Amino acid sequence: MVRDKLIFCYLMVAPAMLFTIALGIYPMLYSMWMSFVEYDLLRIQQYGTPFVGFDNYVEVFSDPRFVQTVSNTVLFTILAVSGTLGISLLLSQVLNAKFPGRAIVRMAVCVPWFVPPAVASAIWMWLLNTERSPINYLLRDWGVIDSNIRFLTDSTQYGPFSIPMLAIVAVRVWNGLPFAVIFILAALQSIPASLYEAAEVDGATIMQKFWHVTLPSLKPVLLILLTLLIIGGLGSFEINYIMTGGGPNNLTNIMAVYSYQQAFSFFRFDLASAASGVILILTGFVCVYYIRAQFKGTQQ
Amino acid sequence: MSGLKIVTPNRPSKGRVLAAFTLAAVMSGTMMTQATAQSIDFWTQPQGDLLVYQDTMNALASEFKAESGIDVRVEVINWSVAFNTWLTVAQGGAAPDCADMYWLHSFSGIGGGKYGPQPITAYRDQWPTLEEDFFPGALEDVHWNGEFYGIPWRVDIRPMMYRTDFLQEAGLTAPPANWDEIVSMGQALTVRDGNNTTRWGFAPGNNNPAQTLLPYYWQAGGVMLSEDGKTATIDNEAMRTALKFLQDLVHVHKITSPEIFEKSAVPLDDFTSGSVAINGSMGNSWPSQFDRDYPELEDKWAIALNPEGPENRDSYSGAGYWGVLYGTDQIDACINWIKFLSQQENMQRISEATGAASPRRAVMASESWNARPWQTVMGETLEFGHTSQHATSVWSALASPEPGAVLYDLVYSTVIGNEDIDAAVVAAQARMQTELDRSATN
Repeated sequence: MVRDKLIFCYLMVAPAMLFTIALGIYPMLYSMWMSFVEYDLLRIQQYGTPFVGFDNYVEVFSDPRFVQTVSNTVLFTILAVSGTLGISLLLSQVLNAKFPGRAIVRMAVCVPWFVPPAVASAIWMWLLNTERSPINYLLRDWGVIDSNIRFLTDSTQYGPFSIPMLAIVAVRVWNGLPFAVIFILAALQSIPASLYEAAEVDGATIMQKFWHVTLPSLKPVLLILLTLLIIGGLGSFEINYIMTGGGPNNLTNIMAVYSYQQAFSFFRFDLASAASGVILILTGFVCVYYIRAQFKGTQQ
Repeated sequence: MSGLKIVTPNRPSKGRVLAAFTLAAVMSGTMMTQATAQSIDFWTQPQGDLLVYQDTMNALASEFKAESGIDVRVEVINWSVAFNTWLTVAQGGAAPDCADMYWLHSFSGIGGGKYGPQPITAYRDQWPTLEEDFFPGALEDVHWNGEFYGIPWRVDIRPMMYRTDFLQEAGLTAPPANWDEIVSMGQALTVRDGNNTTRWGFAPGNNNPAQTLLPYYWQAGGVMLSEDGKTATIDNEAMRTALKFLQDLVHVHKITSPEIFEKSAVPLDDFTSGSVAINGSMGNSWPSQFDRDYPELEDKWAIALNPEGPENRDSYSGAGYWGVLYGTDQIDACINWIKFLSQQENMQRISEATGAASPRRAVMASESWNARPWQTVMGETLEFGHTSQHATSVWSALASPEPGAVLYDLVYSTVIGNEDIDAAVVAAQARMQTELDRSATN
């Protein structure tokens, strides 16, 4: 009976597993293989794909452009995740309260989610265009600025930061907020009201209630969200590629964009796979950390 | 046993079985006959209006079938997926029998003589008057390594486009005819409002650094590679001259926006909105787009030959061509189809339907291609067309519009970054040579 049940369960998940293996696991393994061989489209017909060991990884890490993309990716991820989590925590508190028009506000907050990242990028490219940006127009009109802000093209650096990087992060946060808000809102609504009542009885302030009741209750959800946002940030591609192509001066170039450029512009699938391998390793660390944290939590 | 009725199922009569078998055999035979009737797959990218283009190609396919009995299955590939499609074909992916293709050198190199475009040199005599009938620049795009690959059918030629209303405003009676006039007129046309420039006098081309550089480098007398495509030849005075000219437009004369090469730059929008007065190497489809989509700008724009550089006034040119793919067993049928398409009247029809300039002299000299002043100038510019293809399969990587490409980095670092030109050229020469050495087919 148990055996039959198991067989039935495996049969039910088999189609999804097959898709995952065919469209996810196999390409990942193939890409990993490509990162250890020479896979240059301009040489492959004549020289094949000889094994080169770690040469591709050495080559990408010797490219100062790639090294910059690694630091850009980490910075981009930290900023995007912090921004998304921070703003979504605040927004979800507001959306959890009862007020007239709450449904409309919730809908408005979710609107960016309906916009695919590629479309969002195109829209924001117009909004942030130096000469045609309505934002620049308003700021000049209000006397806040004298000259147009070059949101996507200013190559001035302020330490590790630049205006184009911050602009890209802002678009990423805007596009990713609804997902985080919905996650946190659902978790907020499952927190028993009695906990807040007890805190009020003890004389807790709003901040104390948030710190000692809300945050601990949200911890499991925040952990999942943090993991997903970090993985998404490390593998992010479309917003950077469409809006700036990694420019100006490589300031917004991230690993996924670098990988794409190596493969489809320079025909170096080996270097592209090596760059993707680095992304895989970094996201692997995040996943391992998350699984360990879950495991510890279960044991407790 | 009484009450038990044995029911014998109705069995079809032998006659009915025989009839059904015969019918099935006849139908199979018909299908097999249809399958063995000649048919070829032809892939193409759209030009101009998509529906008009599809209708035109399908009509031509019907006429060809009526004439030859060969069925041509036309499939239109969107430009957004065209590059990846041909890249896949060149690596052995699914391929048609023949197609409208581009970037011959790169895809041939990747294909390595097994996949992608195949030479049809053996059929070259099917077009005995090729050199007379076609512009030379376009013919360079269908030859590589001594082999002939097909017939060019559209030309991406890029003359200069300018706003006649702005020139009039500035008291100018004609567009710039040389590099010096670009500077003087650009300065007269540039409009500033405090710290902002509301109109740039001159944009040298589109937002692709390599494509923008090429015509100025050629006009300064430079060539990118040796004739055999094995040696980079960019470390020379011509490259320094061209880069200095472009660099000064941005940093000295300040008539060109420092954002021209950013991904967010849209040269067409800049021109239509009045942010740019002159584009030195416009998009090939701009004039027909303006006629169609910007009637409010009627009489406010015109095109002219590219201004003359120190040595010549070469114009950027690139051709799409009809060719045959490796793997087909329908070469003769494909050749017949391409011959049919390349007949003057058919190339005329295609050119009129798409608005694309034709590499065929007779088409560009026809009445329909001289009805508007800009059409006449397009034809004149074709005489100065310099192919953008270069005899190396790694060319598309060298000229890629992505950071990291040799020419992108060279142009961006000097023209936008204002870095030392000498050092940049020397470094670019070395990098380019490394890339050329990488290509196995050289």
